[in-house]
Amino acid sequence: MFKKILFATSATEASDHAARVAFNMAQAYDASICIFHVLGVPTRGFSQIVMDVKTKEKVEIDDEYIAWVKEEIKVYYSKQLEKAKSYNINYDIKVAVGFPHREILREARNYSPDLIVLGGSTGDDEDSVYKKSMVGSTLQRVAKAAPCPLLVVNRPAASFWGGISQIVFGTDFSKASDAAFKFSVNLAKDLDCELHIFHALDISNMHMGRLLTQDEIESQIRESLRRIRGRYIGELKEIKDYSFDVWEGLPYVEIVKYAREKHADLIVMAHHTQKTSNEDARLGSNIEQVIVRAGCPVISINK
Amino acid sequence: MPEGKLCNRKPIETEEELKTLLSDTGGKKYYEEMKSLDVDSGLLWKTIGNTLKSRTKTWLEICAHCGMCADSCFLYLANDCDPKQVPAYKIQSTLGEIVKRKGQVDNEFMHMVMETAWAKCTCCNRCGMYCPHGIDMGVMFSYLRGLCYQQGFVPWELKIGAGMHRVYRAQMDVTDEDFVETFKWMVEENEEDYPGLEVPIDKEGADILYTVNAREVKHYPEDLAEAAILFHLAGENWTVTSTGWEQTSLAMFAGDWAACKMQVESVYEAMERLKPKRMIGTECGHAHRATVVEGPYWAGRSNGKPPVESIHYVEWLAEALREGKLKIDPAKRIKKKVTLQDSCNYVRNHGLKDITREIMSYIVDPGYFIELSPNREHNYCCGGGGGFNGIGLFRPQRNKGLITKRDQIIESGAELVIAPCHNCWDAIRDLEEEYKIGIKWSFLKPIIISMVEIPEHLKPEE
Ligand code: SF4
Ligand code: SF4
Ligand code: SF4
Repeated sequence: MFKKILFATSATEASDHAARVAFNMAQAYDASICIFHVLGVPTRGFSQIVMDVKTKEKVEIDDEYIAWVKEEIKVYYSKQLEKAKSYNINYDIKVAVGFPHREILREARNYSPDLIVLGGSTGDDEDSVYKKSMVGSTLQRVAKAAPCPLLVVNRPAASFWGGISQIVFGTDFSKASDAAFKFSVNLAKDLDCELHIFHALDISNMHMGRLLTQDEIESQIRESLRRIRGRYIGELKEIKDYSFDVWEGLPYVEIVKYAREKHADLIVMAHHTQKTSNEDARLGSNIEQVIVRAGCPVISINK
Repeated sequence: MPEGKLCNRKPIETEEELKTLLSDTGGKKYYEEMKSLDVDSGLLWKTIGNTLKSRTKTWLEICAHCGMCADSCFLYLANDCDPKQVPAYKIQSTLGEIVKRKGQVDNEFMHMVMETAWAKCTCCNRCGMYCPHGIDMGVMFSYLRGLCYQQGFVPWELKIGAGMHRVYRAQMDVTDEDFVETFKWMVEENEEDYPGLEVPIDKEGADILYTVNAREVKHYPEDLAEAAILFHLAGENWTVTSTGWEQTSLAMFAGDWAACKMQVESVYEAMERLKPKRMIGTECGHAHRATVVEGPYWAGRSNGKPPVESIHYVEWLAEALREGKLKIDPAKRIKKKVTLQDSCNYVRNHGLKDITREIMSYIVDPGYFIELSPNREHNYCCGGGGGFNGIGLFRPQRNKGLITKRDQIIESGAELVIAPCHNCWDAIRDLEEEYKIGIKWSFLKPIIISMVEIPEHLKPEE
């Protein structure tokens, strides 16, 4: 399923959990891995100066500097790389200069990976000038346009040491969700694990501020369960174990709770590609909220 | 005698030379060599003899040293009214001296001239409006830069920039293939949201030929996507050219007139080959000046015009909004204090002052648009024009130069600055980085995209 993994990393602690997942996946799937780091953001007009995202220093990029950064990355991941070598896993270290989301997408286009694993950002520069100059985070922008599934690990994925045995697929019955469903099924088959299909009935603001009665909620839940049965269950013949549930509440909260209850090792969701207004983009879509809160890796699928 | 290996009077001609110069990080060796670069006084004087226009000569002679131009220069203001920043002084002590001494000047003098030409003037042409004789330092400094370039006294980044144009016909190392491929990529990335989105390449006889700034291709391809989306939504019949797509000219900032000519001719060739009705350039001030205002003269076009009618992006945008090709959702108009940075390059050199305000009237809720003071053709340079933004050697001077614009913005109380010019955008970005005054800044395209109504037949299904 995964022959090529693009691991986009800050090569700092913020990406450590993602690194573990990326290398584990590469090993499990015998995939090649491309370790990709965007080392600097261009600044100063047309000049050669960039801001090193790790040191936060203004540096002039030349071949020497690039070689040095590559070496640093090699040292940072020396343990993982040694292990990878012993498993005969191909790897490559690449660095680029530019805006992180754009360069990750550019590399994804070049390398055509089957999976992108996105590490955490260096964090404290949320209000730095380059971020302010565009709407949305690296995550939002990569998730929106990624040509393949995108795996994000935001919080320590402790259970991931032992691989994946429980997958939660969250649906909103959209077209994009159908693609995410297909992917979940294939993965569950492949890994021989349990699949939990989940829908959260959004009762936060869908009804123009009017509170739904309990009866209405329950009838809508029944309706959603029917939809799950109709739309997905027929496709689950080869899945050993599955379950499906509909809860009501704030979707991203509910799915995180549900995943915890199911001891999920992975959540799969669709990323909506509809145009969002700037305000919405800042708030982040449902899946972005899930990524921030989930205790396990999240895979985002947009097509 | 000595001309350096890196710092010399020869322009960059090959990719290899370009790479060699680039690998001299920060221009260390380059500037070291410059210290012993000889002035070819004979060549200098001969060039002046051949190229010094009578107007410039007259200007140098008739200046009454009245000092009325002093306050007009943002650099004079930003530098606490330093007398050495008075426009008349700046040109008299450099070009004036060279002419007086018939080119007999030395290396040390040329270092001073280089600093004055690039760190004390952005060629914003503001002073020319205030001098009773109409003496314009911007024009004279542009000329002086040409002399400096010929002698090899040019900032490292601009020697590279001019070299980029010579090698790639673009201000950065972006090839024609990169350009086409990136544009296609951007369309692919957005075609789900905008069904039918496309980028017609090398289409003959289109209504619009769109030209860009190489930086968009290299670092902010979103800008290309936004341009495509807006043409698409407006139902325009447009195209881009696979060669001759770069509208900007760092060669102009560098004073490399030969490269200016090469660059602009590549764009004119595209116009002649594709025969569009009009050419529209991206949101860039100096690109417009280079290709539309000055270019025809570099290319020796007798009518002083590009081969086809050429307009700035803001002119197209105003027209599209006026004629209803693009409709703004009134609910999404800007509802915070917003101001506009007039780009000198098209406000003073091309009179585009009302058209940008017309755009504001469509996209800002009434009562939220605030003018900077002064504004329109009286506006100050952002602080980073004429190449100033990109020159590492003169960074401290540039940062100081931002102060005038900073104070203008603070005084206006605006939270958002719309800057339909790459250079101004950069300078305002840097201004925020340097002085943290808590503003945002933007080109027009992303703002329009956030509020434009998508016609029913162009909406994605679902
Ligand atoms: S052109 Fe502009 S920067 Fe240059 S001297 Fe005149 S006012 Fe100052
Ligand atoms: S205002 Fe004109 S005449 Fe007076 S000093 Fe300045 S350039 Fe010379
Ligand atoms: S950068 Fe902008 S404000 Fe400055 S000279 Fe150029 S157009 Fe004018």
